[in-house]
Amino acid sequence: MQINISKSGIPIFAIVLLAIVFVFGLFFVGYDQGHIFSIVLGEQAFEDLYIHELTHDMRHAAGFPCH
Amino acid sequence: MRTFVFLIIVLISGAFAGTIHGVVNFVIVEPYLDQAIGIENQNLFASGEEKDTPEFWVEYEGYRVWQKSGQILAGTILGTSIGALFGIIFALSRNSLPGNNDVKKAVVLSGIMWFTLFLIPFLKYPANPPTVGDPETVILRSILYLSFIAISGFGALAFYKLSKKFQNNRKLVVLIGYGVFISVAFFAMPENPDEITAPMDLVNEFRIVSFLGVTSFWVSIGLILGFFWNRLGPHKETTTSYN
Ligand SMILES: [Zn+2]
Repeated sequence: MQINISKSGIPIFAIVLLAIVFVFGLFFVGYDQGHIFSIVLGEQAFEDLYIHELTHDMRHAAGFPCH
Repeated sequence: MRTFVFLIIVLISGAFAGTIHGVVNFVIVEPYLDQAIGIENQNLFASGEEKDTPEFWVEYEGYRVWQKSGQILAGTILGTSIGALFGIIFALSRNSLPGNNDVKKAVVLSGIMWFTLFLIPFLKYPANPPTVGDPETVILRSILYLSFIAISGFGALAFYKLSKKFQNNRKLVVLIGYGVFISVAFFAMPENPDEITAPMDLVNEFRIVSFLGVTSFWVSIGLILGFFWNRLGPHKETTTSYN
């Protein structure tokens, strides 16, 4: 049986999965201003900024623009 | 490739290195954050926006504790995220990286990524403690910072790909090509629009500890993923059958 793998041997789905982890984690720590929780909490999430406050210190320390 | 082993070691290495970053920050960066936020509070009292009352401090302590404890958790999440990118690039470039074992290869790659994705962008848009940034410009600053990181990373990648077309002096092609390209981008990109009103000593010291924190992450990720890769060899199974 022929198995289709890329030249490096890394399957596409593994790359896609890690790429999703990368984008989501980066957004969570570096950029969220209530967006993620607003999916469940609605507009209130933009007031509470739970994730922003939680990741706030790392945001400054890792060089992401903040306040 | 043993994909499951690959995914697990990439995610664990990232989480591990990120936690180290968080702990390092907790120890060396938090004192500066406290100082900067202290100045910020004084400014709020001086401008009359807030009153120096016990209620203020209760609320302040409440969210500062949340923010501080978040430092380590956010480190783990950010580390897992950047580690995922590191894992992808390591798996794709492993055969071209110098070094006779995976620790050396991974450390070389983490050095390259530290340089292009962190050091160069940091020199253009260095980290700032609280009170420096103007909330009005945060979106603009985010776009500038992220674009410059992307320009630097994709620039390095493009010159690496280009260098493969050359018979010899490949390293030189990458170094000179990227060097010229990033210098132009460095001066062409707009400056951070915010004026620094905080004491410069505080800002500079904050930048040094921030730099050390991020560097601790890049050192850790290379060593840890390299170590796991050496021990578990996730690339093995399929490379033999494929070649
Ligand atoms: Zn901030």
